[in-house]
Formats: sequence, C-alpha cells, structure tokens
Amino acid sequence: MATPQQLQLLAPLSGVLMALDEVPDPVFAGRIIGDGLCIDPTSSTLCAPLAGVVSDVQTSGHALTITSDAGVQVLMHIGLDTVNLAGEGFTRRVEAGQRVEAGQALIDFDADYIALHARSLLTLMLVVSGEPFDSLVGSIGLVEVGQPVLDVVVGAAVGEHPAPVPGDAVFSQPINLPNSNGLHARPAAVFAQAAKAFSATIHLHKLQAQANGKSLVAIMALQTAHGDSVQVSAEGEDAVAAVDALTRLLSEGCGEAVTAPAPVEADAAEMPNILRGACASPGSALGQVMQIVEASLMVNEFGAEPPVEREALSQALIEADMALQHLRDTASGQAQAEIFKAHQELLADPSLLDQARALIDAGKSAAFAWKTSTDATAAMFRSLGNALLAERAADLDDVGQRVLKLILGVHEQTLELPDDTILIADQLTPSQTAGLDTRKVLGFATVGGGATSHVAILARACGLPAICGMPLQMLGLGNGTRVLLDADKGELQLHPDAESIDQLRTRHERQRQRHQQELAQASEAACTRDGQHIEVTANVASQGETAQAMELGASGVGLLRSEFLYLGRQQAPSHDEQVATYSAIARTIGPAHNLVVRTLDVGGDKPLAYVPMDSETNPFLGLRGIRLCLERPQLLREQFRAILACCELTRLHIMLPMVSNLAELRLARQILEQETRVLGLAHMPKLGIMIEVPAAALMADVLAPHVDFFSIGTNDLTQYTLAMDRDHPRLASQADSFHPSVLRLIAMTVKAAHAHGKWVGVCGAMASERLAVPLLLGLGVDELSVSVPLIPAIKSAVREVDLADCRIIAEQVSNLESAADVRAALQQFHGAKVDASPVMEN
Amino acid sequence: MFDKLQQAFWKALTPDLVPEEVKVAADPVAGLSAEIVAALGGVDNLKSQQPVALTRVRVTLHDEARVDRQALSVAGVAGVMPLEGGVLHLITGLRA
Repeated sequence: MATPQQLQLLAPLSGVLMALDEVPDPVFAGRIIGDGLCIDPTSSTLCAPLAGVVSDVQTSGHALTITSDAGVQVLMHIGLDTVNLAGEGFTRRVEAGQRVEAGQALIDFDADYIALHARSLLTLMLVVSGEPFDSLVGSIGLVEVGQPVLDVVVGAAVGEHPAPVPGDAVFSQPINLPNSNGLHARPAAVFAQAAKAFSATIHLHKLQAQANGKSLVAIMALQTAHGDSVQVSAEGEDAVAAVDALTRLLSEGCGEAVTAPAPVEADAAEMPNILRGACASPGSALGQVMQIVEASLMVNEFGAEPPVEREALSQALIEADMALQHLRDTASGQAQAEIFKAHQELLADPSLLDQARALIDAGKSAAFAWKTSTDATAAMFRSLGNALLAERAADLDDVGQRVLKLILGVHEQTLELPDDTILIADQLTPSQTAGLDTRKVLGFATVGGGATSHVAILARACGLPAICGMPLQMLGLGNGTRVLLDADKGELQLHPDAESIDQLRTRHERQRQRHQQELAQASEAACTRDGQHIEVTANVASQGETAQAMELGASGVGLLRSEFLYLGRQQAPSHDEQVATYSAIARTIGPAHNLVVRTLDVGGDKPLAYVPMDSETNPFLGLRGIRLCLERPQLLREQFRAILACCELTRLHIMLPMVSNLAELRLARQILEQETRVLGLAHMPKLGIMIEVPAAALMADVLAPHVDFFSIGTNDLTQYTLAMDRDHPRLASQADSFHPSVLRLIAMTVKAAHAHGKWVGVCGAMASERLAVPLLLGLGVDELSVSVPLIPAIKSAVREVDLADCRIIAEQVSNLESAADVRAALQQFHGAKVDASPVMEN
Repeated sequence: MFDKLQQAFWKALTPDLVPEEVKVAADPVAGLSAEIVAALGGVDNLKSQQPVALTRVRVTLHDEARVDRQALSVAGVAGVMPLEGGVLHLITGLRA
C-alpha cells in the first residue's frame, strides 16, 4: 500500500452548500453512491475538482466522473432527476477518455431551464472510490468555484474485496431493464451497493460489453436504456446467491418505481387459468391465441463517413414517409388514418432529426443515431408523468422501428392470421395492426397500454373487445391456445369449459338482439314507462359526428366542443371559416332541435399557438375556460359573432365553460348582447353555463335567474369535488362521478334550476353510462347529452324505467357512503326493475 | 413538439376517450417575505415570482439594478443567481 497522500478537491461550482443528509433523495442522502458534498449552484459551468481522466460522461450530460492518476474517482451529478431531461439544458465540453486539468470547464448548463423542468438543481460531488476525506468548508455557507473544499486521503481506499475463488461463472437469464432511463446514477448505485455485499466477482453484461458490477461508474458507462436486455454473471463462492439476488433487484427496478418488471421468459407451468387486466374496449369473444413479437434488431454503433450515413437516414425517412402515406390512404378508418398522419409529422420533427444528424457527424451509424435519438425522446415522453404523452411514446417507438428497419434493410413480414384470432402482445403498435386482417381478429389483450392507447382506440373503432395491463405471464401462452376474452370483466380465461362457452354464446345472442332492437327504435322518442319525455342529445366535435348523431336518433346536440376549430393550427380560424362550420352543423340539426355550442374551453393545459399564455404552476386551477376568454375578450367576441350567424338555422344555445362567479356570466352576457345588437338580430340566443366547478353547483340558486339552462360537466365536477385526477394511476378508479357528494351537487343544481323554470342537462361521461340513467332521471335531469355511438342504448335505457322508481332510488343512493355502494345499489335496482340479466355497460 | 403531437392526436381520439384535461403537478406557492420584496426593489419592481426546483424562487424583475444584495442576504436569502432577461433565482432553502 502506498503512503497516504493528500489530494485537494476544488469546488466544481459556486453556490450554497447543503448537508448531504438533507438532500431530498434517499440514494444521495444515504451515501449509497459515495460521500461528498452538495452545492446549490449560483454558477452555471461545472468545473473539474481534480486533474484526471473523464472516465464517464452520461450522454444526457447531467453527470460525469473523473478518475485521478492515483485512482480517486469523483462523480458529479447536476440536479436531481435531471436524467429525465434527456440532455436538454446541458452542453458537454469534454468527452469520455479525455484528460482534464483541475478547474477545467466540463459541462455548461442552462440553470433556468433546469430549474423550470427538473426537480432540483442541487449538485452532488461524491468520492465514489471511497477514500476518507476532511471537509475544508463544513456543510453550510457559500463556496466559490475553484475554492479547495475537500482534503482526500489518497492510498487509503476502503472497499477492497477478497480475491475471488476461481471457478466457472454463473450467468442469469436475460433481464429487460424496466427503468425508464436505464441504469442511470441512482439505480446503478443501488445495484453496485448490493453487489458489494457478495464476495464473488460480479459482472453486468449488455450485448458484448461488460462492466464490473461493483463499480457504479462502470455500470453507468454501459449506458443502458429502458428495455435493454442485460445479464448478470458471478464467479466465486456465493455466485449463485449473488446472481439470484441481483436478478431480482434488476427486474424490480433497483429501487426505482417501475411499471412492470419484465423477465424475458414467462413460466408457463405457473400459468393460472384466468389472467386479469383492465377493460380497454368492452365486449367478449372466444378464439385462439396469436402472439405478436417484435424482432429485436442489431445495430452497429459506428458507421461509414457521415455523408454516407446521412444519406442512408434521409433515404429511409423518405421511404417511411411514403409507406405511411400508403397506410393512411388505405386505412380502414378515420382514427387509423389520423394516427399515421401523426406518425408522418413525427418523422418530420426537427428536434429528432437534429439529434440524429449530430450523432452521425460524431461518427455514429445512421441506425445507431436514429435509434438513440428516438429512444431518448420516447424516454422523455414517458418521464413527464402524463398518461397521454406516455402512450404517445409507443407511437414514437413505432415510427422509430419503422425507419430503423428501412435503414437496416429488414423487410416487414405480413402476418398470416388464422380465423378467430385473439391477438396477444406486450404492446401493439399502429404499424403492427395496420396490416392486420381485422375480419379474422376477434379481440386484443396486451401487457402495456391503457384507455387512451392505440390498441384501445383501434379496438373501439372496430367494436372489438380489448384488455390492457395484463400480467407478463400472458406472453408465455402458446399460439393456438383457446381462450375466452371477457373485456367487460377484464379477464382472459384459458382453455374455457363448455359451460363458459355456452354462457358467452347466450350473452352474445342477447346483446345482438338488444343492440338490433335499440337501433330499430333509435328514431323513436325517449319516454319513460310513465310517460316522461327525456331529451337525449349528442356530444360532438365536428359536422360529421353531428350527422351521424342525428341519424342515430339524437334530438339535437347537447355539447358542441368548439375547440376543434381552434386546435392544431398556427392562426385563429377566420370569421368566414367559423361561420361556415357552425352553419353546416346547425343545418344538419335543423330548426326542430337544440344546438348547444360551448365557447372555447382551453387553458394552460391545452395551449393554443396563437394565444400566448404564461406557464402556470397548476393550469387546472388556472386561467382556463371562461376565465381565459374574459382575459382576451376579443377572442370571445369573435366567437359569439360567428356563432350568431347560424341563429336562424336551429334552436341556438350558447354555453360558457368553467363559470364560478356570477360576474363572469354577466360580463359574457354583455358582450353577447352587444354582438346581437350589432348584427341586428330580433332575439338573443339562449345563454347557459356549464356546472363543472363545485362553486357553481353550490351557487346554482343565485346563478339560475341569470341563465336559460345549466349543463353539468360531471367529469370536471367530479375531479374538482373529490380533488382527484381522473388520469392519476392510483386514484383514477376512485375519481368516480357516482360519488354521493357529486350526486348531491347535481341534486342541488337541478332543484335551483327548476325553482326558476330552467332546464338542466348532463353532458359529462356519466350521461353515457346506462347504469347512471335511472339515477340522473331520478335526480330530475331533463336532458342527457351522450357520446354518439351510445345514443340508441341510452334512449332504450330511458324507455326501460319508471320515473317514480327513479326518484326513489336517486333519493336512496344519495345517502350512501361511497361511489362503490351507489354502483352496487344501482345494479340491484337494474336487476329488480329492468330485467334479470346482468347489466352490460358499454 | 408535445403540443403538436397532442393536437395531432386530438382528432384521432374520439373526444370521450381523451381525458378532458392534462394535469401538471403543483408546487405550493411560497410567498416572499416583505423584507425580500423590499430588497428586490419593492412590489413595483416584481414582474413575476414562482417557486421552482425545491430550493429556489424564480423572480422576474423590471430593473435588476434596484436589487440590494446585502439586504437580500439579511432577509435570509442564502444565494442569488442572476440570469438573463431580468430573471433571478433566489436560493431560499428546501421548502417543507
């Protein structure tokens, strides 16, 4: 052992010190990576604390390690959870392998961008090689960049391990990394820490590369990504135990919350008879399993001359664009065509191309550059905590794969499907489903995905049942296995018995008959058994949908989402364009029915390119709906003027979203009155408001005299009343409009409206649920505005009930404890009063 | 890019499938003490303020020259990071 020497580490940044124990991150505070110090920076260039070689710099530029000639390794990590920024905001000024002097600039960062987009800027400097040190500055106060801060005792490194007993290495099964950003600093540290507990020599393997499993830096240098297949090997006395423990740790995410650990091989022996998931599209079917597996592609990191690789990428992009155009032109439905259009837009995205071209210029192959750039962007989508965008990451993966195959010259194989196929996959991409013969497919079951995933959209569009969120074991099912897919229950039954099959056939027959009957009677009025007429209208967002709704028996439109005119464009729609659209819709409805136009409902969460808005900490509680319109009255004035142009064509109603104060209503009415006068119209259209903020429901008696009608937006009303996000992964199931608190607010609204002779509609998702029909009628609601395909079903549900019974059940359930109790009571009511068959919600 | 993507998918998804809103997590709004506001040149000089990144308050000022660094320090601001466009990060420590 060498004589201990002193090595002074310099502050890599200026800033405010924070005690390591206080850092709000258990891995750093627990010194799992190593001991050191934390600086809250006031300068924005990270400088080398010591001379040495850059042994690792993460591609995302947020972390870097330097190893001195004496073997001292110092890791610097800028900010907390900054790996999620995928490099945005960081500029690397050094490369791995480069020698640097103490004080040399390493990474520039945009402090304002990081502060606004990441969890924190707190920067860690940690001695990962484990030498003891003395602090020269304590743990609070200010430091200046370049100031000596730690005295490291060199040559006294701890953490030496006994030499391994020679023997054969034990290898684990391949593990697909579940961590959305691969093994970045924190999970790598957890892994290395666990590996150190074993005396065996441990390696982590990714393709041909391997890393010392006990070295944090080595693991990070593997630059793993989400879904990468890795293997653990161990050599020594406790090798088997080490491989076992570390395999489990890897598949559980190394301390990071991960959605689904992914062992490569599912154990078919332990397959239960019923697999459960969540319903993505209702219905049920009997068929045989067909697995769809995406072949993994081998990509070489380094390529030919940059111009050659650039050309290869451009060529592949052109071909992919043409293929997508073809898919668009031949798509079986509008939804699919739109998806491929969005894919084409992704292909043209400048940020993806910039990233890929930069990598090519750095000597990488076209395939590697494209894959890296799409993977990084997809990882960023997934890390934003937004379910919708996370699912769009699957689209990006899909486009990425399409282009990659073209670069590598891998040909798409068309899949031959047997009849009665139930498609099973980890995740189904639009490209995979585009070429499918949907006549042969009876349903879908996937491990990934959710209610807004592509497979859910496709399945609903085709009217096929689908379940998402299935256990991984499902991927172990053999092709041809007979299964019963019951999406209503969220179940996949393996090898169903004759009885289950019979039940399913009977149910299908009954559903088919009922559906036919509903369609046959769609144009008849919706009257309860005791003769109360209920308006069943449609929620629409286009002229096409309006026409479809009228054909299916809608008595008008209860909610026209006018946003569709404004979204996805760079300039506000012109007056003429607006007039033409509103008039076409009004003509479709005609003078005998209502058209309720909701004025622009956007805000910080759905920004418009041409209405610049400051970013808000919580756009949900910010400037949205009527608040935004009153902030920019010209926008509202122009919209009123355009809507008023169709005043003579239909029974025109105008509805204001997000009203919480009478003053907002008064202001909007003033503008509307002015515009009506300017146009010289004989009479004002009806003016109403959405009841979607609890304040509006509670003040309904004060608001009622000033409106012509109310329409209850149950989705928002539920979220705001329960303070629960409908998209929250854990709370979504509880954010249920059947909660008695929401029912009471509805009752309150109806009572106030009827006291002033005004009508009340419901246009939220609740109105489209069969189970809610007796409840809403019982609460006194006069109009149900429902999603287009469900119009016949809801009309038929109205005809099945007595209003008198509805009133009793509504009264009863409003006094129950929870949404679940309310649903159970309504199921019972349905069974007793309507028919004896189980309720099918769809 | 996100906006574009979201808008492109607006039409693809039938409206009832689209969650009506997309939420962003909120930080608790940390008010600045009267002393800090005074040291920043008073309320009039303050264009906006926003707690960010666990330990900071991001303020935008009309005139940076009116900031009294000494007074900020006395008011309990541990560090100040001046940025472009009148933006200033005040390091005020971890918010509870």
